[in-house]
Amino acid sequence: MTINRRTVLYGLATGLAAPRIAWAAPVSDNAGRAIAVPQKVERVFAAGPPAAILLYTFAPELLLGWTRRPAPAECVFLGAGACDKPEVGRLTGRGNTTNLEVLLNLKPDLIVDVGTINNTYISLADRVQTQTGIPYALLDGRFAAIAATYRKLGELTHRQSQGETFAKYAESTVATIKARVDQIPQDKRPRVYYARGPRGLETGLGGSINVETIEFLGARNVAGDRKGGMATVSVEQILAWNPDVIVTIEPAFAASVRSDTVWATISAVKTGRIYLSPRLPFGWVDFPPSVNRLIGLWWLAKALYPDQFPEDLGPLARDFYRQFYHVDLTGAQLDRVLSGQN
Amino acid sequence: MSRSSVPGMLIALAVLIAALLFAFTVGRYPAGLGDLFHVIAAKLAGRPSGVPHAAIDVLLRIRGPRVLAAVLVGSALAIAGAAFQGLFRNPLVSPDLLGASSGAALGTVLGIYFSLGAFAIEATAFAGGLAAVGAVYLIGSAMRARDPILLLVLTGVVIGALLGAGVGLVKYVADPYNQLPAMTFWLLGSLAATTASDLVPLVGPVALGTLVLLALRWRMNVMSLPDEEARALGVPTGPLRIAIIAAATLVTSASVATAGIVGWVGLVVPHIARTLVGPDFARLVLAAALLGGGFLLAIDTVARTATATEIPLGILTALVGTPFFIWLLAGMAKTWS
Amino acid sequence: MILSGHALTIGYSGHVVGRSLDVTLRTGEVLALLGPNGGGKTTLLKTLLGLLPPRAGEVRLAERPLSAYSDRERARLVAYVPQSHAATFAFTVETVVLMGRTAHGNLFSRPTAADRDAAAGALARFGIAELRERPYTELSGGERQLVLLARALAQEPQFIVLDEPTASLDFGNQGRVMGEIRALKASGHGVLFTTHDPNHAMRIADRVYLLRQGSRIAEGVTGTTLNRPQLEALYGAPVELITDRDDGRTAFLPG
Repeated sequence: MTINRRTVLYGLATGLAAPRIAWAAPVSDNAGRAIAVPQKVERVFAAGPPAAILLYTFAPELLLGWTRRPAPAECVFLGAGACDKPEVGRLTGRGNTTNLEVLLNLKPDLIVDVGTINNTYISLADRVQTQTGIPYALLDGRFAAIAATYRKLGELTHRQSQGETFAKYAESTVATIKARVDQIPQDKRPRVYYARGPRGLETGLGGSINVETIEFLGARNVAGDRKGGMATVSVEQILAWNPDVIVTIEPAFAASVRSDTVWATISAVKTGRIYLSPRLPFGWVDFPPSVNRLIGLWWLAKALYPDQFPEDLGPLARDFYRQFYHVDLTGAQLDRVLSGQN
Repeated sequence: MSRSSVPGMLIALAVLIAALLFAFTVGRYPAGLGDLFHVIAAKLAGRPSGVPHAAIDVLLRIRGPRVLAAVLVGSALAIAGAAFQGLFRNPLVSPDLLGASSGAALGTVLGIYFSLGAFAIEATAFAGGLAAVGAVYLIGSAMRARDPILLLVLTGVVIGALLGAGVGLVKYVADPYNQLPAMTFWLLGSLAATTASDLVPLVGPVALGTLVLLALRWRMNVMSLPDEEARALGVPTGPLRIAIIAAATLVTSASVATAGIVGWVGLVVPHIARTLVGPDFARLVLAAALLGGGFLLAIDTVARTATATEIPLGILTALVGTPFFIWLLAGMAKTWS
Repeated sequence: MILSGHALTIGYSGHVVGRSLDVTLRTGEVLALLGPNGGGKTTLLKTLLGLLPPRAGEVRLAERPLSAYSDRERARLVAYVPQSHAATFAFTVETVVLMGRTAHGNLFSRPTAADRDAAAGALARFGIAELRERPYTELSGGERQLVLLARALAQEPQFIVLDEPTASLDFGNQGRVMGEIRALKASGHGVLFTTHDPNHAMRIADRVYLLRQGSRIAEGVTGTTLNRPQLEALYGAPVELITDRDDGRTAFLPG
């Protein structure tokens, strides 16, 4: 059955693609693959949530649809028309839900995927490209690569200057923050526990994408000795670690932990250094781990090193939301975002 | 109680006590058995113990409830396993057989999917387990069969498969960043998040179900005979079967609602108990309860201590259970005594 | 005391096995139920035991309908000895015999001293007291049948109903078990047993009941009812009769 489908699709693809598209010079993506880019790129398919956000920020008109349609509460914090875009499922990551025929029906000029660059994703990209005839570009999703990713996106879509603008924003943000952080001596860098899940017992191990910005800012991830992805720990272990700071995205957990007697002896709880990450329309530290973390970097830096980062978050947030999410925040909306509630 | 089973019963009790001592001695936080004795002694004498406050918290608020939960869950699963093995006349039967675990699993993932609070999730798990067994029993008895036991087993397998598909569906549509990891970890089994308040929905049902099973244990030998023989001996097998299944499902559902799916305990522990005290259910049920508690407690202690991150209980019990099961299959006839 | 079936239509749902059957068993007598396979012997047995509801007619026990008895009340009057079977769990012989005392306790009761005495007595009565601690699964077929007999006796019933008690026994044990069944009559029990072997019926039964394809062919005192023409009609096959020249005792052989 698969063979029949592949043959049909391949035939369709060559039949459809060959005579109509005019090709530009090939661009090399972050995996080193040569991507044959059409001269006009007006319809781009995002293969997963980080790609969808990246595309939306860069040029919302290019985005064909969301992996998962934003909830109504989130739509308020996105530009006009954002939530009119259809839900198209995801091509990569856990549980691909996109039907290849749906994909073809959307007639994208380009497929973009943002995330880990490894053989699994490279072979997936090659396979989809062969099956559909649509160029499939892989971009690096690591936080440190955001500027380069924007530039590459600019190249792929023939909007180099636009890519440059976003890249410069990212670079200047990172440079400013990093310069100050580098001045801070090791012993002043707090030990951080990143809490996820309803009881706060899930955390990110060393090097996991979920704690990338935390570790980027030089904080010491208490769970960082072991490398890996997400893991569950017991309260006893957290007590043994005794973190100085707790960062979380769960409003219920943030509220309950302050009065929970079991957590009470932890340094972070005693000093009140529990920080609830904003999450509208996308998480500031994680959820998903994409360019939404840029504004989160300021927030995180202020939480970890309040003395070195006295800036008012308000104007920074407004500026970011205008440029990246294409929306002007009112005072009330800004407060709502910063409160960390859903 | 015949003389020959007393040593076996004492061994089961000794395992439980040893596991309790072991559980309070080790952990990721430096607090141990000595500290516990100091704290208890100090409380009795009404003076401060000199143990750091955080350590007291670890012992009484974190390890304490978790230890109790592990003992209750292990005991519940073992006693349910023993009851089901007798009822279905098959030493390879376990509490998951009638769909209790799958039903509780579906209830739980639905609770996580609809973002219910922790207590509500336990309630839905519970309801799911009981509903599954209820459905299996109703379907099984609506169909008339010469062999009601076999029919129940087959219906249970089918319902269990259906519910498993339901769980798969919920996982498929769940948010992969938030809900899916929680569901996956819960399904593997964990007592990591156990607090004193979690014990409330656990203790009641487990106590009730265990009491019923212990009270009925003198009739379980007869229930393990073919149905006609048992009725001829004067036992109302229909109602009694319902009572035993209900009690065993109650304790299983409560365990699954608290700790997720923890396999193999209900299969392995009754067998070990049988080698200790013999096949007489009056003794077996009691020995299984003691041994099951100690067994799961030992495993949970390893789960929370071996590495910084939690090892899911289901993985550890499978590591122990699978070779045991193979050994069991190899020497089938011998182990029935 | 009398255990009797009146105008019984017996069978399973969707399948009638026998019609309009009348059977009577009194305490102190042995009744043998004979007939070919599939003729309804076991079905009739189970109906009389109350394990299978009659499709028509009534079973009466001690002048009350059997359906009016609870399982427990009935078990105190009627005991069932099935064919000795392989057991799943290796209970000790004592445990197995103690199960016979179930009807004398309630749902939660443990065996009392009286129960243990009754069990010990039953074991001694059949001469198998030394098997007390042995696992049931390690016994021979003959020993197992005796254990099940002991279990029935421990029930202290008025009637004992046996299903093919010698079916899986070797030749030597057949005689032994037959002898024990005969002895039950002497102790005042009413005994009903099914058998394939007319000679067994001949030896120990006071009366016989011949059942073929769900119909009673004949019933009555063994000496007169059990003869060659009746057996040939029962089994639909030739039967030989052998007579001992010295003492006139007879035996039947398949023809």
